Amino acid sequence: MNENQLVKLAQAGDFDAFNLLIVGHKDKIYRLAMKLTGNREDAEDIVQETFLKAIDNIDKFRRESSFGTWLYAIALNNIKAQAGDRKKMTLKPIEEYLPGGHEAGAAELFDWGDPHKLFEQKQLQKLIESSLAKLPHKYSVPFILRYIEEMSIDEVAAAIKLSVAATKSRIMRARLALREMLSEVFKERANERVQ
Amino acid sequence: MKECNKQIEQICDYVDGELDSSLCRELEAHLKDCKNCRIMVDSLRQTVILCREGKPERLPGELESRLNSALKRRWKKKFGKK
Repeated sequence: MNENQLVKLAQAGDFDAFNLLIVGHKDKIYRLAMKLTGNREDAEDIVQETFLKAIDNIDKFRRESSFGTWLYAIALNNIKAQAGDRKKMTLKPIEEYLPGGHEAGAAELFDWGDPHKLFEQKQLQKLIESSLAKLPHKYSVPFILRYIEEMSIDEVAAAIKLSVAATKSRIMRARLALREMLSEVFKERANERVQ
Repeated sequence: MKECNKQIEQICDYVDGELDSSLCRELEAHLKDCKNCRIMVDSLRQTVILCREGKPERLPGELESRLNSALKRRWKKKFGKK
């Protein structure tokens, strides 16, 4: 049975059809909520609220996007309402993340080599989590959807209700900001080891 | 500097394997001469790889049970049946 048929059945009151529609999204929405809120209790509330709101509004789902994209949009509204964007870093303009290239006197970027030689896997994971948590949601959300949940640019754009160009730009800035945060930590660690 | 600034969007597309092949060749020619852009390509690639590492988190079992009960109750309230 395809998604459209399941949606029709669910909208007519078939709970089993609804369960089939959400089964593949429970873990994904929990992961997204965990990454954005950084704590399990908030993530659990967001998951529950998301699926309850999906039930409340299922008759309003018009199949203009996939069911998954619609669920993500509900989840993101819940995250925004619950977690907000407090104490997040301000991202620099793209030009300021650039390497400087051939410009005379441009500083050479730190060459990462293999970061696993600088940190153990668990330390790396904590570092990634804390770096992602510093990004404002408007940047971390599209980055996570694109690269961790492996959604297409079009799907991410639909979920966050932005144009494809604006979505790509936010993902790029998130990636550049994360790269820079990680680079600073790796460089510091490498220098400590030399001393 | 200007040349590198122009390339950043291309660098991101290149890292994701989404850059048009003629632009790919141009960028690869630039990368041969520009160490900073080579480091940028490598570190941007590793940024995503590191974010994907680790065990994917799953919904805890006890939450799934609570969630299923809450969904059933809400469904019954909305549709008057399971």
